[in-house]
Amino acid sequence: MFGLISILVRGLQFGIDFKGGTEVALEFSNPIDIAEVRNAVENIGLGNVEVKTFGGSLGILLRTELQQLPPEVIPTVKDKIESLIQKAAPGVEIKLIDSTHTALTYDFPDAQSANLIYDKLFEAGFQTAKASVEPENTAVVVRLGIADWIKENLSEHFADNPFSVLKEDKVGPKIGQELKTDAIIAVMLSLVVILIYLGFRFKFVFALGAVIALFHDVLITLGLFAALYGILPGINLEITISVVAAFLTLVGYSINDTVIVFDRVREEIKIHKSLPIIDNINRAINKTLSRTLITVFTTLLTTLVLLIFGGEVLRGFAFALLIGMITGTYSSIFIASAFVLEAVNRSDKKIEF
Amino acid sequence: MKEIRFRLFLVIGAFALSLYLLYPTYQDYKNNVDVSETLVHLEDSLKESSPNLTPTEIRELITAKKDSILANTPEYRSAREKRIKLGLDLQGGMYLVMEVNTAKLLERLAKDPDEQFFEILKQAEAESQLSDENVVTILARLMQEKNIRLSRYFGSIREDDAQIIARLQEQESDAVTRAIEIIRNRVDQYGVSEPNIQKQGSRRIVIELPGVAREEEAKRLLQGRALLEFKLVKDADFAIPIMNRIDEVLAKSIGIDSAQVADTTQQLTEEEFAKQHPFFAIARLADPQGRIPDAYVKESDKPKLNAYLQREEVKKVMPDNVEFLFDAKPIVGDDGEKYYRMYMVNKTPELTGGVIVDAQANIDPTTSAPVVSMQMNAEGAREWARITGSNIGKRCAIVLDGVVYSAPVIQSKIPSGNSQISGIPNLDEAKLLEIVLKAGALPAPVEIIEQRTVGPSLGQDSIRQGFNSLWLGYTLVAIFMIFYYRRAGTLADIGLIVTVLLILGVLAGFQATLTLPGIAGIVLTMGMAVDANVIIYERIREELNTGKTARAAVDAGYRNSFSAIIDSNITTFFTGIILYQFGSGPIQGFALTLMIGILTSLFSALIVVRMMFDYMLNKGQKINIG
Repeated sequence: MFGLISILVRGLQFGIDFKGGTEVALEFSNPIDIAEVRNAVENIGLGNVEVKTFGGSLGILLRTELQQLPPEVIPTVKDKIESLIQKAAPGVEIKLIDSTHTALTYDFPDAQSANLIYDKLFEAGFQTAKASVEPENTAVVVRLGIADWIKENLSEHFADNPFSVLKEDKVGPKIGQELKTDAIIAVMLSLVVILIYLGFRFKFVFALGAVIALFHDVLITLGLFAALYGILPGINLEITISVVAAFLTLVGYSINDTVIVFDRVREEIKIHKSLPIIDNINRAINKTLSRTLITVFTTLLTTLVLLIFGGEVLRGFAFALLIGMITGTYSSIFIASAFVLEAVNRSDKKIEF
Repeated sequence: MKEIRFRLFLVIGAFALSLYLLYPTYQDYKNNVDVSETLVHLEDSLKESSPNLTPTEIRELITAKKDSILANTPEYRSAREKRIKLGLDLQGGMYLVMEVNTAKLLERLAKDPDEQFFEILKQAEAESQLSDENVVTILARLMQEKNIRLSRYFGSIREDDAQIIARLQEQESDAVTRAIEIIRNRVDQYGVSEPNIQKQGSRRIVIELPGVAREEEAKRLLQGRALLEFKLVKDADFAIPIMNRIDEVLAKSIGIDSAQVADTTQQLTEEEFAKQHPFFAIARLADPQGRIPDAYVKESDKPKLNAYLQREEVKKVMPDNVEFLFDAKPIVGDDGEKYYRMYMVNKTPELTGGVIVDAQANIDPTTSAPVVSMQMNAEGAREWARITGSNIGKRCAIVLDGVVYSAPVIQSKIPSGNSQISGIPNLDEAKLLEIVLKAGALPAPVEIIEQRTVGPSLGQDSIRQGFNSLWLGYTLVAIFMIFYYRRAGTLADIGLIVTVLLILGVLAGFQATLTLPGIAGIVLTMGMAVDANVIIYERIREELNTGKTARAAVDAGYRNSFSAIIDSNITTFFTGIILYQFGSGPIQGFALTLMIGILTSLFSALIVVRMMFDYMLNKGQKINIG
């Protein structure tokens, strides 16, 4: 219930994997104040750009939902590029030979100045390329990308604190939508497959109980993601592709746990045919309890190691697993088994293997 | 000893096999270190010898050098090919998802497309942006809704819609396959080590370019058109009058009165000439007598000339079916300026590069100039024979992406389908041309819909963090197991090492790619792999409590926990399969390691550890289970 409410109230924050947009991670050479970066980014005409820390105190993550520079910014960018060219090679003749909404192509009188400008613009943060690989090439293509524009502005603003680009992602809205659908299908499909396999190996009631327990785990973890987003410092709680992977791993882990308890229940029922089911379930849970605790302990150890030492990229993934492990462990006892018990008691049927 | 001999062989075999499979990875790592060491000197000497190189340039040179050493030394290369592949997130590089724009293809296939057709096509394209349905299906549906028969634009009137749709769909999927082939060729030639190119869905191409950081260059390589055309060059009789007319209208519109224009017999100063003949002042005829209609244009004048040709009044006097094209290479005049030769050619090509099946860069033995020989397919050869046969004495321009490479005079009918491009300045260029011709032109434009770039430093960090987590995870779990299960715990720890070794061995053996989530998968496996051991040990403890002997307890423990272990691992395995099926890139890497992890940890828990137990029991050693 908690999970559902928090999803409904707070909503889920999807990463650009699912939303589409541009994301740039930078690493500065000296510690940087995030508020300062935020101020610097605010005035470059891109509207809303998210600024967050990435990794330690040197990393900055910038994100916008745009995938292309808005048309009204392009003239400013163009002026900027041309003034940079003037600075790099004073007095050079600037000839724009091609202009699209994603790239500008300049032609220069000689190859040397073209090479110089190519390097200078690249250092300033623009993505440049020579129009051809011939040594006497004189045309330089400058890409008009959001990331480049941000980088250029920041490198100017923080001239005494150079940075390097750690990663740059650009995802189109179509891909985002598809990934979302795929993720949902994947989670649903794995639930169905589990339902079928367990129904086949045990009884349908057991399979149903296991799947309900899984629903519960996923829901609570998802709910925590929604509830804690932006509250928990240092952890990026966005739903990205790797978090979805974590959810599926969680489904796998949690079912593992449930199956082991069920297996023991099955064994107890075979041995003590006359005992009421509640006693058999109790005996099974008690007998597997130490195993459950030890396994969850060792897995939590490794998950914690990943959370702390695995680096920024894996943090959301490790967090999802951490929460999932805990809920997964108790749900196999208190939800899956309880459901089976309840269902069996209501149906008045005797379970036999 | 006898009972465990078979298992011992199995275990030692598996162990040795994974060591064998992992050896190239170790070797490659060592080679890398060695080569880097030798290159330190190179960096210093580079800095000394050419101080004006920028740091970026030096870095580029060093990387290029390193790559070429690693790729070209045979022993280095074989290690490199067999090592565990690292994903882009670990080594840095570009990940691109491209989509073939098949709407453009349909536009080209359509006969007499009219406004209505373009409107429907546009609509279909928009719809295809939101679904994975192919454009042909959408187009066909939209046409049927409007009650238009497909045969109006495609195929012949006798064919029904279903036939046409089937054929178009085939052409659509053909185009995607060809685009992949062409992109693969180009990437191979570009020299990226270990690129990965895959088809995804109906018209997507996933491309991974490790180590490539210059996006724009890579994109040019992938999206470049490489359109080869053979176009007939117009004769002087046809071209010169048109050029004269262009000159006239330009002179008029730039504002010179006719009285002055008439006065052309006198010697004119250059300035006056430029005023009276704006066109010929820029485009100087190669032959003043006007026998050859080619003209030379100074490099700096090219934009001006293009601006002239764009003028409305010029467009009016220029026939629709011709155009001006420039040579690819300029010649340097006596004044040191670069001049480009300009040709007037037919707009419609006689033949396009699609017919080229092979190309070869060579040195022409008679002139010792580089040439590229091309071989056409049967259909192309037939066409080529017809074209050359009926145009003897005329020139045919060989045009690549709108630039003329050579324009030889057709001497005789060429029946074999062989032809040659000359006029290439050096052999390197000829090689490049060979690549592009062989790779061919993209059948339809490709668009980038997703792009991820990982810098090399993040990749390094990720590897370090990943392996730190691996060690730490292992140590913690191992200490706990020894603490809790004493000697049996030690056995489980040995089993764990076998598990990790086997996972890496299998990854190397299957040429799978290790990604950061993949490492996370291994770390996680450490935690979960002991699960099987824990289940068994707990069971053995229980059995011991009921008063069984050690041997009986071990047997019962293994027997009774078998179904639980198998059932639970199979369900987890299922989610791994699903993850693999629906995930992309790094996620598939994770799913793969998870699945391999399940299998190997089962192997080590049920066979390796069991074997050690049996050995100890046979020797009469005490089983110590905490």
